[in-house]
Amino acid sequence: MNQIVSSSPSVPAAVSRFSDYDGSTYYDRPQLKPAPFENLVVGGYIFFAGLSGSSALLAAIATAVGGDDMAGIARRGRYLALAAPVLGSPLLIYDLHTPARFYNMLRVAKATSPMSIGTWILMGFSATAMPAAALQLASDAGVARPWVLRVAQALGLPAALLGAGLSTYTAALLSATSAPVWAAAPRALAVRFGSSSLASAASTLALGEPNPDARAKLAIIQAAALVTEAVADGVAQRAYRQSGIQQAFDSPVGKAERLLTTGLGVALPLGLLALALFAPRQRRALSAMAAVATIAGSAAMRVTMMGVGDVSAETPDISFRYSTPENLARLVT
Amino acid sequence: MSFHPRVQDHTQSTFDHVIADESELTAGCKIEPGKSYGFFTDTTVCIGCKACEVACKEWNNLPADNLGLTGQSFDNTGALSANTWRHVAFVERSGCGGVRDMGEVPFQSAWLMMSDVCKHCHNAPCLEACPTGALFRTEFDTVVVQQDICNGCGYCVPACPFGVIDVSTNDGKAHKCTLCYDRLKGGLEPACSKSCPTDSIQFGELGDLQQRAAERVDTLHGLGVTSAYLYGTPDAPGSTGGLGHLGAFFLLTERPEVYNLPVAPTRPADRVAPSLMTGLLTMAGLALAATAVLSRRT
Amino acid sequence: MPFMEGTITIVQESRFQMTDDRGASHLFSLSPHAAADPSQLAPLAAQQSRIRVKFREGDNIIGAIAQSISVMTGGEAR
Repeated sequence: MNQIVSSSPSVPAAVSRFSDYDGSTYYDRPQLKPAPFENLVVGGYIFFAGLSGSSALLAAIATAVGGDDMAGIARRGRYLALAAPVLGSPLLIYDLHTPARFYNMLRVAKATSPMSIGTWILMGFSATAMPAAALQLASDAGVARPWVLRVAQALGLPAALLGAGLSTYTAALLSATSAPVWAAAPRALAVRFGSSSLASAASTLALGEPNPDARAKLAIIQAAALVTEAVADGVAQRAYRQSGIQQAFDSPVGKAERLLTTGLGVALPLGLLALALFAPRQRRALSAMAAVATIAGSAAMRVTMMGVGDVSAETPDISFRYSTPENLARLVT
Repeated sequence: MSFHPRVQDHTQSTFDHVIADESELTAGCKIEPGKSYGFFTDTTVCIGCKACEVACKEWNNLPADNLGLTGQSFDNTGALSANTWRHVAFVERSGCGGVRDMGEVPFQSAWLMMSDVCKHCHNAPCLEACPTGALFRTEFDTVVVQQDICNGCGYCVPACPFGVIDVSTNDGKAHKCTLCYDRLKGGLEPACSKSCPTDSIQFGELGDLQQRAAERVDTLHGLGVTSAYLYGTPDAPGSTGGLGHLGAFFLLTERPEVYNLPVAPTRPADRVAPSLMTGLLTMAGLALAATAVLSRRT
Repeated sequence: MPFMEGTITIVQESRFQMTDDRGASHLFSLSPHAAADPSQLAPLAAQQSRIRVKFREGDNIIGAIAQSISVMTGGEAR
């Protein structure tokens, strides 16, 4: 991961003679077009997709592990998995410029298009997570026989697998574009999105968990995911520096991304959870605050990363620095 | 100057019918499905008349946009957009470092003009990104948006490494140059190249054009314009990172960035597998960790 | 909403030119929210149907956005 090959024979001489970008632009006009997405809407979808997919994953794990203290996580996880189908899908359709034709997404399945891959992941996830939640509801309401819950548990397995995809495919969606900040670190961005998704799901489940033991376990999962996210963030930042596009994070939205993602979303909750270890009496309040900070940071990360990508596309100095022969030789981070 | 012998059949200037295979007379090539067609834009003979822009707008019934003046030389078009599929870039260069050069190199002037257009990439990122299949490759090896399918998701816009394709906020669909798909089907060469008075824009079969372009570079080098090079031919700038060659390629005399072109763009689809696989591995690892944590007896 | 009447004289994708009774031509784009589909425009031009277009001004273009198109029949059409 993340190595630079100084001179690659695969870059032809006709191209490598334009190494060492001299700062030329065309009247400082953008070289790339920013995505015509509404960042709050699409960023919101990415957050709900991650929350929902990872909740289904945790619900399936809790079901597999079994035990009395796990039943709550499995049950609430199944409900929380409704976030993507119920809240996320309308956001996606809203963001289309011709929403009445949303069903055209189902005409094709394309491996080169993460948006197509994601459409099918979301369809499959909805088809399993929604009946699972409905059966859980029937079981909770006491109107169903015991086998109904077992069907919900069985549906939870494909939902968990698709949920893992739902938590991370959105990183591939951003990476498979020409916006420099999205494109420069595809692997690290996927780790960030995946771990942030799981952290937000564990946090949300912890907020609703009355059992202190189960809550403590969720906090450990949350902390593990946040540490993973912090490491991936470091790797991503190094890739941005090495490919010469770090200045995108000097923009207002870039500064907000740094502050909200690493500060509010990672450092603060990890600090609060560490504090909770030494303050048993304030433990519940501290871990609740950590959970809220994690959820807010996770949502803010998706929205601000959309914005930083747009800045990198609109600033010719950044996009030209990214599309230099030097970066062709760089391995995908 | 030589003419195609069939020109003799059409001596009147007004016609009540379309001339069969008219492109043979105007561009010297017959348009047949299954072959690759494209544009060679030789910027050294562009005079910045914008006839291509006007012809494109007229044929495609595109509205005038970006009203007003930019203050950027004679370029009030600004950029390619949903309503502008040809864009003539103007770069004022008078001598070295802004000092008037008293001994001009032997070609037209120190002004750079370039008629930019959709590159119709071999591995087109917009086409690969399109989740509806609205973007497709035609029988002429060009890339076109099918307007009856596009739902305006906008994913093709950030996918394009050249900033060409755009979603119109007016009709909610993605638009870009179609290389005059309708005209090609009728045996006519595209409107822009037909209207180009200096043959800066040449339409033809891609192989022929690439050969013609290489010869033109040799000629220019012989005349002393040693800075002339091709952008978008195989192994040249613009055709990098898995994009393959470009269906619309250019002869330039300055760094690509001067014309708002990237030196080494990449193919976004190559990043799908690394990103997806790493994401799934992350989830698998975290799921294992979560299983270990949740199954701990308390 | 302002409206205009005439016949469609050019169609390209969702864009069309309508020529009014004075012979002046106007450029329209079909709104994504209009009930009409762009594929219905070419037949209207071929039949030279007299239509009424309700429209709003476009964003940053010289042209209008057709919000609805109705075909004028019998008594309505002069």
